[in-house]
Amino acid sequence: MNIKSYVNLYELLKINPSSREENRAFGITHVMLKNKPIEQILAWVEEHKHRLKRPLLSETFSSYLYRVTFTLVLIAFALGLLTGIGLLSYSGREPVNVIYFIAVVIFFPLMTMLLTFFAMFRASSAQNVLIHLSPAFWMEKILGLMPAKVEESIKTFQINPLLANWMILKRSQIIVLFFSFGLLLALLGVVVTKDIAFAWSTTLHISPEGLHDFLTTLALPWIEIMPSAVPSLELIEQSQYFRLGEKLGEEMIAHASQLGEWWKFLALATLFYAIFLRILMLILVSFGYNHAVKRSLLTLKGATKLLREINEPIISTHAKRKESTFTPHEKSYGQIVNSLDASYDSIHGWAIPYNTLLLLGDSMQVIAPEYFEAGGTHSFDEDAEVISKSHGEVLLLVKAWEPPTMDFVDYLSDLAQRVDKVIVMPLGTKKNGYEASDKEIDVWENKLSLLQNIRVWLKR
Amino acid sequence: MGEQTLTVAKYKSVVKKMTPTHPKFAVVGHPNKGKSSIVSALALDDSVQISDTPGTTTKRRSFPLSVDGKVLYELFDTPGFQRARRVLAWLEKHDVPAHKKPEVVQAFINEHKEDERFNDEIELLEPIMEGAGIIYVVDGSQPYGEEYETEMEILRWTGQPSMALINHIDNTDYSEEWKIALEQYFRMVRTYNPMKATLEDHESILESMAQLKEEWITPVKASINLLKQYKGQMLERSALLLARLVYDSVSMVEKLYFYTQEANDEDKEKIEHNYKEHLRELEITAQKSIEEVWNHGHLKKEQNVLTFEGMDLFSEESASVFGLTRKELIITAATSGAVTGAGIDLLLAGHTLLLGGALGALVGGTGAYFGFNELSEIKVLGQSMGKRYLEVGPMENRNFPYILLGRAIYHTMKVAQISHAKREVFEIEMDQSFKERWLDESSRNALEKFHKKFRSGKALATGELKEYEEIIKKILKHLIDV
Repeated sequence: MNIKSYVNLYELLKINPSSREENRAFGITHVMLKNKPIEQILAWVEEHKHRLKRPLLSETFSSYLYRVTFTLVLIAFALGLLTGIGLLSYSGREPVNVIYFIAVVIFFPLMTMLLTFFAMFRASSAQNVLIHLSPAFWMEKILGLMPAKVEESIKTFQINPLLANWMILKRSQIIVLFFSFGLLLALLGVVVTKDIAFAWSTTLHISPEGLHDFLTTLALPWIEIMPSAVPSLELIEQSQYFRLGEKLGEEMIAHASQLGEWWKFLALATLFYAIFLRILMLILVSFGYNHAVKRSLLTLKGATKLLREINEPIISTHAKRKESTFTPHEKSYGQIVNSLDASYDSIHGWAIPYNTLLLLGDSMQVIAPEYFEAGGTHSFDEDAEVISKSHGEVLLLVKAWEPPTMDFVDYLSDLAQRVDKVIVMPLGTKKNGYEASDKEIDVWENKLSLLQNIRVWLKR
Repeated sequence: MGEQTLTVAKYKSVVKKMTPTHPKFAVVGHPNKGKSSIVSALALDDSVQISDTPGTTTKRRSFPLSVDGKVLYELFDTPGFQRARRVLAWLEKHDVPAHKKPEVVQAFINEHKEDERFNDEIELLEPIMEGAGIIYVVDGSQPYGEEYETEMEILRWTGQPSMALINHIDNTDYSEEWKIALEQYFRMVRTYNPMKATLEDHESILESMAQLKEEWITPVKASINLLKQYKGQMLERSALLLARLVYDSVSMVEKLYFYTQEANDEDKEKIEHNYKEHLRELEITAQKSIEEVWNHGHLKKEQNVLTFEGMDLFSEESASVFGLTRKELIITAATSGAVTGAGIDLLLAGHTLLLGGALGALVGGTGAYFGFNELSEIKVLGQSMGKRYLEVGPMENRNFPYILLGRAIYHTMKVAQISHAKREVFEIEMDQSFKERWLDESSRNALEKFHKKFRSGKALATGELKEYEEIIKKILKHLIDV
């Protein structure tokens, strides 16, 4: 789990490499990861990583982060070394005041670690002032100075600010750790190569006893394993230095060889406070960072949707195949009759009972010598008989609301072969006074226009 | 038809009956009686062609309800009977005892498979002979006719379990006469209006379908539960989309680089135009996604676009309809801790004489910034870095998220409630009463906390959007269930 996974997921979610079905298939085949969203996402990233364009943004990003961090680490180490040398520089006229060094290797680390603690608690806040104090924060600024091409590929990448905070915190620890290594190396180097007279001096009224107690407290972590690395009261008394006065002369010079004993304390203090505690802090921040990477995975746009697709069963109610597009035939029919004649040779009713036919004929004031019922529950033989009896002009009444079926079309075709003219008249329901709606008649008109039979007419 | 044909048919039938399969239902009937509407509503699929023109369906189409590829039941939309009398005449030529009748139907299929005249009958009879239960659809708004008996008789010949559905296409009701006739042929007769059917109606029809055969009860009941789960999924996905829409819109930042010494009015207009366009695009995209979630990908709708000019959604008047009134905004802001004293005062800038006078110059200078109608300040950035650009966003208008969310919730509710059988243009016209329905005081306060965060442009912590999504889900569920 590292920043690469985050960047890869960011890129994959942007290109959306897999369909919903594929994601669900992934969920089913990785059933052991169920209810482990982070693991699921990471496994999904691994499975789809090959679909990303090379070079991977994650590689580019982490490689530059590494380089910038490495550069800063080198600078920090050099700074630590120089600071150490500076603090331990011995002119030969005045002894080296250990208070400075103690401040840098004990109080400075303790203070920055305290700040780190606060920053960790506030890491979830995007605008964390403490983060801005960190030298690692400026890494981002340095990234802006990268070659234009690289900048372009990373420019579009927006890292989650919460994750960025943790990244800065983690890298800050690494940088300060190397600064401390520089200090330690400087101390050891100077101790080996020079004969330094350490002393302590302060404007504050601190007695040697008081300082002894204080230093013993500071040295508690190693007092048992290395008692010689704790300055004795005698040493403290002997190494107290006053800028004005005669003290330097006799006492210090008399014990000049012992004044160098301070180095052990300083080395152990650096090792413990500046290095050991910093390593612990680095481990702690690394945990936080890893946790932040995990949490940030879920904040990426599309991550929730992806998890849903992986875990939710695909419920489908759709048709398997697409329906062939039906284009309704809407051609106006040329053979339209607007009014009925007074009489016809016969009146036929398609699925209309005989008695209703008589009634309809009467109400329409149309006279016909013969009325025939066809279709409906009639047999084909009966229909054939009706057709055989028909001649001349036939008024064929149909139920307008019942769309014309091919059964009707067959009958009409046979009838039209037999007679001179067939007028199809769609009728509405009794409730509507047998008035057919325009919409219903349109349906009949469309059907008849498909027949293209010159003997078939439609009454509108 | 020889004895051999009958044996083959019987063999096939037995083999099919022996193979454990999911329940199948064929929706059959006279042409243009709403079979496709019913299938569309039951299958939650708005891609089914529905038209007033008879014969729109020419091939049977399968609509399986599946979960992860496993089919729980299958619905078939079929063409209507075209030459029912001829089919029945053919069947009746075979004088067979009742238990042999299905074999005769199968023989008819076998013999007429290539006969174009019976294309529609073959299409509708095949799934039935493959074991599908029959759902015979009639139009209850039209009178009963004897000619239907031919179709019902054919269906009786198939020997498959069957039920009838009286489809109410319009307000005229002939259901009673239909019921009397249908009950003579079908063991179950139900009424169903696909245009107005709720999920409960849907479930009820499925339960009836399950009763057709004992072994179908369990899978169909499972299907009902699955449909409930499906609805839950749709609700969750909608809430996620809506939460994203509001977050993306409110936190959106638009940039426009310019290469002159100073940005001119044209640049400012351009960035404002782009900003508003992107907001509209976000809304349109989210609406499209919502429609897809609810299987309404083919929905034709009429709706006012998100407007920003003139008498628009950002005016005080329309805000009171779609969003929050000034008073509500202030109360919400104060109670949710979104605005401190100064913020409240600034909200009132220029609108109350008392405070306006008291605030004096401060209000005059900053009033516009916090103004009711303002979207967001246009800032000129990057001056010292050589790359100058204008920036607008995140959205500063406190009412905007409510307006956007209100519209989105209304749209989702309508889409969720509209029948899949509807093909008319769907009007989305929100009225004033809707605001009272979706936004009560507690939701307002809960939402404001998140709106404030979105406006700040700060990144969201894990789970924050989820919390917002949950509030929206709750609102949606309440509205849709009602």
